[in-house]
Amino acid sequence: MLPAQAADTPPLAIPHFVEETDTAGLQIRYDGQDEFMVGGGVATFDCDGDGLPEVYVTGGVNKAKFYRNKSRRGGPIQLKEERSGLELTSATGAYPLDIDGDGKTDLVVLRVGEIEVFRGLGQCKFERANALWNIPDNNDWHTAFSATWERGNSMPTLAIGSYYDRGRPDFPWGTCTPNLLLRPDATGKKYAAPELLSPGYCALSMLFSDWNRSGQASLRIANDREYYKGGQEQLWKVTPGQSPRLYTAEEGWKRLQVWGMGIASHDVDGDGLPEVFITSMADNKFQKLEHGANQPSYVDQAYKRGITAHRPYVGGDIHPSTAWHAQFADVNNDGYADLFVVKGNVSTMPDFAILDPNNLLLGEPDGHFTEVGQQAGMASFLRGRGGMLVDLNGDGLLDMLVVNRMDKAQLWRNVGAGTPDQPQAMGHWLQLRLHQDSGNADAVGAWVEVDLGGRIVREELTVGGGHASGNLGWMHFGLGQAQEAKLRVQWPGGSWSDWVSAAADRFYVLNRETGLAAWKAP
Amino acid sequence: MSYLIPSIAPALAQRRHSAKAWALKASAVALAAIAAVAYCPHGYAQSAAPAATLVAAKPEGALVAAKPASAFSSNVVYDWIYLDLQIIQQTPGFSPPVAARALGYLGLALYEAVVPGMPGYQSLAGQLNDLSSLPWAQPDEPLHWPTVANAALATMSRMMFPTASAENKGKIDLLERNLPIKYSQDFNPSTITADISNRSETFGKLMAMAIMTWARTDGGHEGWGPLRKDRPAWVPPSGTGKWSATPPTFAPALLPYWGQNRPFVIKKASDCQATVPPVYSEEPGSAFYKEGLEVYQISNAATQEQRQFALYWADDPGKTPTPAGHWAYIANDILKLRKANLATAAETFARLNMAMSDAFVAAWHTKYTLNIIRPVTYVQLGIDSNWVPTLLPTPPFPDYPSGHSVQSSAAYTVLEQLFGADTPFVDNTHNDRGWGPRTFKNFKAAADEAALSRMYGGIHYRFSIEGGKPQGQCTAKAVMALQFKR
Repeated sequence: MLPAQAADTPPLAIPHFVEETDTAGLQIRYDGQDEFMVGGGVATFDCDGDGLPEVYVTGGVNKAKFYRNKSRRGGPIQLKEERSGLELTSATGAYPLDIDGDGKTDLVVLRVGEIEVFRGLGQCKFERANALWNIPDNNDWHTAFSATWERGNSMPTLAIGSYYDRGRPDFPWGTCTPNLLLRPDATGKKYAAPELLSPGYCALSMLFSDWNRSGQASLRIANDREYYKGGQEQLWKVTPGQSPRLYTAEEGWKRLQVWGMGIASHDVDGDGLPEVFITSMADNKFQKLEHGANQPSYVDQAYKRGITAHRPYVGGDIHPSTAWHAQFADVNNDGYADLFVVKGNVSTMPDFAILDPNNLLLGEPDGHFTEVGQQAGMASFLRGRGGMLVDLNGDGLLDMLVVNRMDKAQLWRNVGAGTPDQPQAMGHWLQLRLHQDSGNADAVGAWVEVDLGGRIVREELTVGGGHASGNLGWMHFGLGQAQEAKLRVQWPGGSWSDWVSAAADRFYVLNRETGLAAWKAP
Repeated sequence: MSYLIPSIAPALAQRRHSAKAWALKASAVALAAIAAVAYCPHGYAQSAAPAATLVAAKPEGALVAAKPASAFSSNVVYDWIYLDLQIIQQTPGFSPPVAARALGYLGLALYEAVVPGMPGYQSLAGQLNDLSSLPWAQPDEPLHWPTVANAALATMSRMMFPTASAENKGKIDLLERNLPIKYSQDFNPSTITADISNRSETFGKLMAMAIMTWARTDGGHEGWGPLRKDRPAWVPPSGTGKWSATPPTFAPALLPYWGQNRPFVIKKASDCQATVPPVYSEEPGSAFYKEGLEVYQISNAATQEQRQFALYWADDPGKTPTPAGHWAYIANDILKLRKANLATAAETFARLNMAMSDAFVAAWHTKYTLNIIRPVTYVQLGIDSNWVPTLLPTPPFPDYPSGHSVQSSAAYTVLEQLFGADTPFVDNTHNDRGWGPRTFKNFKAAADEAALSRMYGGIHYRFSIEGGKPQGQCTAKAVMALQFKR
């Protein structure tokens, strides 16, 4: 039930999500026993240049499947499974990025077993590139990934997270394996021997983000307290040319222990610095910097903002929730970031909710969030893991993918205020891709600001986070009632572009050299 | 009352590994009688030899009489093998390798228990890995070989199947008690004194215990257990073309360390190799791709006959006595049909069962060394995303080589040498399921059908089937090279 609205408060603009899993042709399950209790991710990226993201869903012990996006713009979602070279088993998660800067999206696939890095060949074909790029073939339980371009490098620095020792299933506690940091070698064409991010505390999500807007991303890691001994959440300072090191209590870092499973990062309150949402088992955290950019010192504002999402809101199960993927995005195009959280019991843990619906928390102007999952039609009770909000049919409304453990993956089309037959926009929007002529062709690490007539919304372009799920493609901005917006970008390295105007409801490419250009579907 | 003479005394006196000279007390009369019974020691086409009474002076001066093992029928063995196969079928954890191992020790215990009653034959102690000696039958203390066999097999069955149901444990007790009554011709009370009976039981139990003591050290002891605490959890190697858990259950790998078990005969598992498999490739047109495509196409288009073959030889644990049990069933029937004697049965099951057990160890060693991807996974990755074999579930371990192929090849190679290459036979193993009896023209024909059935079922490549055959033949040849005869 919605909270009572004040008489002068406009009603919440709740988007309607219509499940199109079967009609879209999405047929995949994430199965597997113990080593697949975590993970279950989805990657979305456009590899054929039509502006619509393709979908790659991990299947655990099942084969991971690549789906070409055949949707008609604004219409029902249509996916077609194709052979792409990404065929794998034991895949748990996937993140797209352009590692070699050739303009063709590559893909990092997390696995129970060695990670597999695929080089994009164009037209949605891929080839294994572990040997080409000197990716280590550690036979570990890989659970997290993030990437950043350190200053001066044409190839990204890769962080690879892992869980506990696969050889110790009888007593896994205290056996978390170290995470790895891969940096380009002197040739700039492949990776040097990995550096250890030790101690590892069973990472389930990691994200390079410029938390203090210093121009240099640090690595946030969400760790699962279930299996570490003496561990905590981590923030690694990754300085070019230096070994990575953990931020310390002396620098302001506060020890936090949760069942860290997913990371979402966004400048929710508009102060120019990102807040962080960490998913866990009941004690999800919404962290805000308490001393600004000066210290990595966070306070929890989850309760204050109505964003605890600690137990099911529908279905009658009163047990605590288990949260995995989290993502901030504007699903109703009102100009305020909303929060999407995928929920699901680890397996059949009796002390946690079995009927644990995914959350859709709408952000409001006062900074508060309101749960609308049931009204929006996306309150699935399957055992959720990874997920993604992404515009699959190019209509400006973010659609929804969820990977479920021991069940089928699900897909919902966002029809806004309308119906499947007559979708109806809820607000204006624009979508943007960045491009620069360097190895970091997609400008990962850039900050985009959109001025909605005095109020600025901003988004950092990152690779990583969520839970085992990543997207590379259009950056989506809800504009509310604004028919036009000004935007600018702080490129990796720190320089700002000029403000440029852009009409609403269109796609744009902002080239660092040539400026803003409208993009039209081929 | 007369005593049975230990007709095997001369034989025992020459046991190769005896450090002690046996005090041979058999008289010339006895030796003459042995010569008379030289009768064909225990040829494979013969029935139980007629009783020959040997008379000799006991140390105490009493007259005793004894018959060799070949003078008794194999009925005791038949009933025990039949029951043990039932127990294998009904006891959780007796997967094909575990079942083969159990049968191996049962066969060996039987042989070692009665070999003192097999003139011209010798113990295998000293020829088998890490087995240097076994208990001796006292040459001057006559034994009754059916009683020895009954006690040895009963004791071995109890120890080999400790997790059997209470009902099956009761069947073991019942069979041990009832066999002497059921087969009164072999257990003629008028010829077995109480002390012979007791001594025979004691010797049979002693031999079983000695064999079991050795068995516990082979690495496969209590292989049905949930987790081997003395070994790290097995982590499947990862990489292109490597095995991963398969649908529909995606069960963890079965017995990943079984290939490290101590074999009975071959010195180490790697002594018997499968042929080299094709290089892994997902490229259409590659040798590997063709193999994967063939499994996909053949299993999808399997004829009714091919489907029946697949089901017939599946020999799944829990439903059947497993593949090794299937061949033991065949051998048991042949022995019964031919009215084979006890000695013949003992040698048969020792050779057959050890060869099959070693075949599984060798096959498992290769499986978990190469870790080759199963057809279901390969086909899903490169040919048909949604394909699963409809006839048989893919077993939870790497593909190469086919265990059925290796083990069946071992079995037929042994049986061919024991009974002849052109021996037709009737297989009654699955009569209870309505699938038999089936007649085969020879052992090889059955083994080839069993091996190929796995491709019809969609769970093995042809190269796994063909490549496994030499490995099984190798273990069989090693067993057949054992010096059973002095």
